[in-house]
Amino acid sequence: MKKKDAEPYLPLTPAMFHILLALADGEKHGYAILKEVARRTDGKVQLSAGTLYGNLARLEGSGMILESNHRPEFGLDDERRRYYLLTDFGREVAMAEARRMQEAVEQAYAKKLFRKPEVV
Amino acid sequence: MARQKASFSERMFSALVRIFPFDFQTNYAGEMAGVFREQRREAEERGGIAGLARLWAETLAGIFRTAPREHWEILKQDCVYAFRMMRKNLGFTIIAILTLTLGIGANTAIFSVVDAVLLKPLPYPHGEQLIFVRQQAPKIGMDDLGFSVLEINDYRQQNHTLSNLVEYHTMSFTLFGHGEPERIRTGVVSWNYFDMFGIKPILGRAFSAADEQMGAPAVLLLSYEYWKNSFHADPSIVGKTFEMNDKVHTVIGVLPPVPQYPDENEAYMPTVACPFRGSKMMMEGRDHRMMEVFARVKPGVSLLQAKADLSTIAGHLQSEYPKFYPAETGYGVASSPLREQMTQGARPTLVVLLAAAGFVLLIACANVANLTLSRMARRERELAVRTALGAGRSRLLRQLLTESFILASLGGAMGLLLAYDSLGLLTHFAARLTPRANEIHLDIGVLAFTLAAALGVSVVAGTLSAIAARHGLSLTLKEGSAGAGHQRNFMRSVLIVAQVAFSFVLLIGAGLMLRSLYRMLQVNPGFIPQRVLAMRLTFNWSKHKTGEEIALQAKQVIERARTEPDVLSAAISSTYPLEPELLSAGQSTTTFDIEGHPRQSGEPPLTTNVASASPDYFKTLGIPLLRGRVFADTDDQKSLQVVVINEAMQKHYFLNEDPIGKRLTPNEGKDWVTIVGVVGDVRELGLDRAPAVEVYAPVAQNADARTLLVRTVVDPLALANRLRRAVHDVDPDIAISHIRSVEDARNQSLETPRLTASLLGLFAGLALLIAVAGIGGIMALSVSQRIREIGIRITLGAQPSGILRMVVGQGMLLAMLGVGIGFVGALAITRVLKSLLFEVTPTDPATFVGVAVVLIGAALIATLVPAHRAASVDPNVALRCE
Repeated sequence: MKKKDAEPYLPLTPAMFHILLALADGEKHGYAILKEVARRTDGKVQLSAGTLYGNLARLEGSGMILESNHRPEFGLDDERRRYYLLTDFGREVAMAEARRMQEAVEQAYAKKLFRKPEVV
Repeated sequence: MARQKASFSERMFSALVRIFPFDFQTNYAGEMAGVFREQRREAEERGGIAGLARLWAETLAGIFRTAPREHWEILKQDCVYAFRMMRKNLGFTIIAILTLTLGIGANTAIFSVVDAVLLKPLPYPHGEQLIFVRQQAPKIGMDDLGFSVLEINDYRQQNHTLSNLVEYHTMSFTLFGHGEPERIRTGVVSWNYFDMFGIKPILGRAFSAADEQMGAPAVLLLSYEYWKNSFHADPSIVGKTFEMNDKVHTVIGVLPPVPQYPDENEAYMPTVACPFRGSKMMMEGRDHRMMEVFARVKPGVSLLQAKADLSTIAGHLQSEYPKFYPAETGYGVASSPLREQMTQGARPTLVVLLAAAGFVLLIACANVANLTLSRMARRERELAVRTALGAGRSRLLRQLLTESFILASLGGAMGLLLAYDSLGLLTHFAARLTPRANEIHLDIGVLAFTLAAALGVSVVAGTLSAIAARHGLSLTLKEGSAGAGHQRNFMRSVLIVAQVAFSFVLLIGAGLMLRSLYRMLQVNPGFIPQRVLAMRLTFNWSKHKTGEEIALQAKQVIERARTEPDVLSAAISSTYPLEPELLSAGQSTTTFDIEGHPRQSGEPPLTTNVASASPDYFKTLGIPLLRGRVFADTDDQKSLQVVVINEAMQKHYFLNEDPIGKRLTPNEGKDWVTIVGVVGDVRELGLDRAPAVEVYAPVAQNADARTLLVRTVVDPLALANRLRRAVHDVDPDIAISHIRSVEDARNQSLETPRLTASLLGLFAGLALLIAVAGIGGIMALSVSQRIREIGIRITLGAQPSGILRMVVGQGMLLAMLGVGIGFVGALAITRVLKSLLFEVTPTDPATFVGVAVVLIGAALIATLVPAHRAASVDPNVALRCE
């Protein structure tokens, strides 16, 4: 398959970016994604069910995530749940977005809008 | 408690998820509900009711932000896809859009007329309270006797249900002081006439009670149209003075542009200013009726109550003055809502045209569905693949609906342009039927109708093709394409049969109208309209006060006109047959008793129009003399009072005797007139109306001289200017108007049926074309789908003639079925045409047979092409093709 270019998908919406980040360390079901995003942002980003699945549909449609065939062990599974995993392309888009944001932050430093935090 | 609340929240959520596109729901609804359940539990644990409220706020925001976006995404995809398909099938697209343009355009145009004329309330405040009142004598054929001054006063004073009762009549007066003397049509009205209608002048003031006092200075209100056209909308018109009827009249205001009913007048004056109404005879004669009456029903009073009230008054009058209200005439009083009165002439025609346009739209719908289906035969694989790839059925339906909506919108937009373009013609057409024609516009209501029509078309056409596609697809996936093809062909056949049936009904409608028109053209009008010029003359009544003086001047005009070259004969009369103004205003009538014919009790008196005519009137119009003589110059005021009657009167009253020398009296023996001749019948009031009993009196004895008629050897209109100068040679104060040839008047009287027939014919022609093309198309497709089968048949020994018969037979079966259904439909429906037809019954066998033959013949020709192709199939080629 021809390799897709990440560029046309940038910039990602914050919700999309957070979902991709949430899936970066392994597949998760919808509610787990939601919890992960909330935890990582100290509750600043609260995705609603509608927003979450609207974005999942979009990400799935553009090939950044996939539904996983993997199911957790019997008993821990809720059969209505579906698990999503990050595709290579999704990872690439997330990286491109992170780079884009990093460049923007670098420029802000250069303009001395604020100082680089001290590396501890 | 908590459990109940929980389930309610979840049910709410599940309901809300339904606003997402169907495919999205199929994919995610279950999971979303699961996530929401967990969120809710957590929110309640952490924040209680407040937490739940916060969750709901976020959830609602999320859903209402996401769902429209999902729909929008799908719509974008569908549109892109639809436009791609339309580009690929350009022929299909163009045909579909053109069909819809015609269908929607025709409907929009006709609807704009129906909306303005029949649906909208009258442009007067509380127009529903306005009624038109008339006295009737049905037993002598009088639908509207008019009212006398005394009767108006009685009805005004004795009623309990009307807040206002006003009178109206119209007269033509000559206006001096504005260029050439100008004859203007003047409405003579009660002072509060415009107040009752709620019409306020746009300039100046309305009439006041003081204007109606005896001896008040004469005042005029100008109509908007007259002010605009004759005075170039001069804003300083108020206060200007003109001379009329020997008096100075001051313009006090200008009316707004409102529909004028019953007549289009140039100006209005209060009743006291009219010299005729003010005469002693009019003021005191209970049976001198020349006024119309309008009234406003009191708020809260029903029309029925008002009717009963008016009937009570009529009863009182009848018992008080039995002489004036003979029971044998069937005297009574009737009232109808003004709106009905103003639009009743237009209703049957408009309803028929709207129905016809509706049929065209239905046929166009079926046609688009049909085209989609035939295209689908080619898209079969693509659709099957899309389904296999996971496109749900509702997704396909949505796709098909989007496609048909785009087609319908384009058709609708073009249809709107078409309607806009035809509005001028339609307004002109409607103006012959109703005074409300100037209210016709393309407004928001009409736009909404067009949008609704386009939406309706897309839903109908899209659903039809989706139903067929659904059957077809399940079959394609299960059994390969043959079954699907049959299914779809069946659907198409149904559509074709429907189209043929609708076309048949439309063709019958058009055929009946055409036959009726043809009958009207064939009918003998009783006179020769060719090469006769007519012009309205208004003598200066204030200079020539007596009938004798008018008659003398009329004679001078005739003599002067006769000296013009190219003039064969000239005459002066009150009116002439089929005169448009006569057709709209109707005739006034006189009641006679016949000498030696005592009336049986209960027998209504002879009631007829008395037309004035100079000696050469009959010669000029080519009306044949059947008995006795016509008028001579010696018939004047001093000689015997004479009349000429028509054949209808002779047949009705003098069946077995010679009418010549018999006498008539209009006033119970006080005066007598002697019959000196009998002339042929003339269709005075319309080619479609049987000649009525008619009495002619010489102008010299009955000085109603309003029209100059001149028979010429050349085109009569070429003489108009010379004759105008000739008339002014006699007296420059004679106002001249309404110059036209009598033939034009005759053609004008046919314009409404001609336009109705043309419009219906146009609609029917379109329908025929679409239906026949449909039959040809489906047979062609069926042949190409069955090419292998046909090849096998030929290989097995089938004759090409047999194949030809088979294909033609199948096509004809569809046509026959359609004609059969249409036949039954037409029998049921064409009754609505009855009031529009002349000497043709709505079930005219010749029309039905003729239309069936035309339709079947056209279908036969359409099927011959694919049949011929099938018959000439080369089996070797056919068997090799897939």
